Amino acid sequence: MAQIEVRNLCKSFRDDAVLKGLSLSVDKGEIVALFGPSGTGKTVLLRLLAGIYAPDDGTIGLRGRDASGSPPEKRGIGMAFQNFALFPHMTARDNIASALTARKMDAAKIQRKVGAVARLLKIDHVLGHSPRELSNGQKQRTALARALVGEPDILLLDDPLRNVDAKLRYEMRLELPTLLKRAGSTVLYVTQDFKEAMALGDRIAVLLDGAIAQCDTPARIYAEPVCIGVARLFGDPTLNLVEVQPQLVDDVPEVRVGGAAIRLPASYAAAVGGNFTLGLRPESLHLVDGHAPGTIAVDLVAVTPLNEKSVLLFTMDGGNELLASEAGDRGAPRRIGPSRLALDLDTVLLFDRDSGRRFIPAGKVGAKS
Amino acid sequence: MSTSLSIRAVDKIYHPRGRSAVHAVKALSMDVGRGEIVALLGSSGCGKTSTLRMIAGFEEVSAGSIALADRRVESLAPAARNVAMAFEGYSLYPPLTVRENIAFALKRGRLSASDVARRVQQMAALVEIESILDRYPSSISGGQQQRASLARALVRDADLYVLDEPMGQLEPQLRAVLRGRLKRLLKDRAMTSIFVTHDQTEANALADRIAVMEGGVLQQFANQHDLKERPANLYVATFIGEPPMNVFDAAVIRTGDRTMFELDRGPSFVFDDNELGPEVRQAIGNRRRTVIGVRPHRVVLGGGCGETACVVSNQWLGDQSHVAMLVAEKLMVAVSHVRVSATIGESVPYGIRAQDLHVFDPETTLALAHGVRAA
Repeated sequence: MAQIEVRNLCKSFRDDAVLKGLSLSVDKGEIVALFGPSGTGKTVLLRLLAGIYAPDDGTIGLRGRDASGSPPEKRGIGMAFQNFALFPHMTARDNIASALTARKMDAAKIQRKVGAVARLLKIDHVLGHSPRELSNGQKQRTALARALVGEPDILLLDDPLRNVDAKLRYEMRLELPTLLKRAGSTVLYVTQDFKEAMALGDRIAVLLDGAIAQCDTPARIYAEPVCIGVARLFGDPTLNLVEVQPQLVDDVPEVRVGGAAIRLPASYAAAVGGNFTLGLRPESLHLVDGHAPGTIAVDLVAVTPLNEKSVLLFTMDGGNELLASEAGDRGAPRRIGPSRLALDLDTVLLFDRDSGRRFIPAGKVGAKS
Repeated sequence: MSTSLSIRAVDKIYHPRGRSAVHAVKALSMDVGRGEIVALLGSSGCGKTSTLRMIAGFEEVSAGSIALADRRVESLAPAARNVAMAFEGYSLYPPLTVRENIAFALKRGRLSASDVARRVQQMAALVEIESILDRYPSSISGGQQQRASLARALVRDADLYVLDEPMGQLEPQLRAVLRGRLKRLLKDRAMTSIFVTHDQTEANALADRIAVMEGGVLQQFANQHDLKERPANLYVATFIGEPPMNVFDAAVIRTGDRTMFELDRGPSFVFDDNELGPEVRQAIGNRRRTVIGVRPHRVVLGGGCGETACVVSNQWLGDQSHVAMLVAEKLMVAVSHVRVSATIGESVPYGIRAQDLHVFDPETTLALAHGVRAA
């Protein structure tokens, strides 16, 4: 059963329509990463769920009941924010306990619960410190502990790792899903980082232009994005886009990329004659020797390392640029100058140039949106 | 390579009113070759921006000297140093259009109007702001202002290009392409450059060498290969690399021609002397305790490996798997560019090869030795 059920939610500020009929359903115990570029209304959605804003239209269901009209304190939702929002005059311990003291719980029980959640988040050694004595990472975990200590069955997290340094953010990215699963909460987790969304979410809800463009598992979002807007948000570097018009040559659908004829599988036959944008993931382009048919003549312009990958910038005939990425160590460095690229046809994405929707090859079931 | 920028024993001490002095940069010495691209990398407050501002002339040095193209410049005004700078806060002139802002830097030269126009156009194309050249800074986005500021610095002829977080505000979609183009430009024209960043991806992508700073002290100044394969100390080892190096406290036990690293409350890794090689062997000497490290990309997963560990998390990021395992009550992370199917709670075999081992002194945190990969 859906623990959070949002239907056709609309919210405008003055003339600015931020949410335009947004629908989303989150199952009990599920972690959904709410992901999208800045300014798309992710935080607005959280505030509507928490009851801080009232929707202009649409319904909010919580735990199977309509909660659209209920005040924030009746919704039983835990929240943590990117700016921590800790009480400056209280110790970390009291900040965490503040979520429980309002409930008239006895002091010994409160201390037990605070201790347990603090150990889980590795802040038990700084419980006596005030917020200004805590590092950003510790503040973040204190805020998270305060959200978790009341064992809320619904938890809204607004980009909680945003202000944390890279090393800790990485550790939290590994540990947070287990921690949240152990707490058993249903979680909506806002992030602007696609890697964080992929790492944390059971599913990712991609918020674009006021609505959820796609809500699906990380692997499917990456491999089968519903539209070009979703596809461009995932991957580092992001996917290459080449405008193409598939033609039928010798009964095989074919596109031209930088002067090379790329033969597509027969399942792309229905795309022949249309205007499309070809999306090529950088990791699916490979430098090859020789002049095999279906390889693209390119000029290697620059090699820039990216973590354990190398990013290769090419120019094609006509001046268009292509990015490829290579994993792992290579013995000799790549030579700047003319080269040839082969592409991995299994990962090719084709988008309708007018609607931006992904073309679904025959015989494949499209991802649900 | 001849030296273009030479920094000798530079200190920067700030004296904030009513508070104790802050020693922001300590005894910094470094040389940058002609045409070289150097990144100053570190977390906030490490002294990288103070260093950059002293080079450009916007801060005075408290001690030491700075030479640029064989001239002592530490006492010269910024304009007299022939340094082109792109500021993190953009600092565009509000009453001038983007085109005029970029051209302004060329006004004092003896270029013809058509040459100025050509250069502005070329640089605007590089950073993709041709369509907004006639707009005013207040009407364009932060990312566009940053690119305009970058173009204004790059369009000049200068002895040194100083860039403060040059791509901090740009969208990820544009960043990878711009990095490639910028690197090509700097290399083609042999433009000596030094830039500040907190983002190691950016430092790795653009720089020939990276100066890692922490606490006002230069920790290591090396190319990215050496920073990764031969980090000078534990700070560099765990700062460089995404994800950071796995490090563990370990007791060292010698038996015959074998060396055993016994992790505290964890497994042991045994290597024979041939595997470890003489450098590592000698560096360990008679030590009883070390810190050992291995990079996540080098942890070997799968059958045939000596140890097993319980999977705590397994995350697929589209083109790589990040697998965290519980080893010695800590997380050991392994990264694979092939998708790993292990589930949480599953026990998986893993191993560390001698060639991928890094050994540190637990007291000084300095590196003792690094495994050597077969040539």
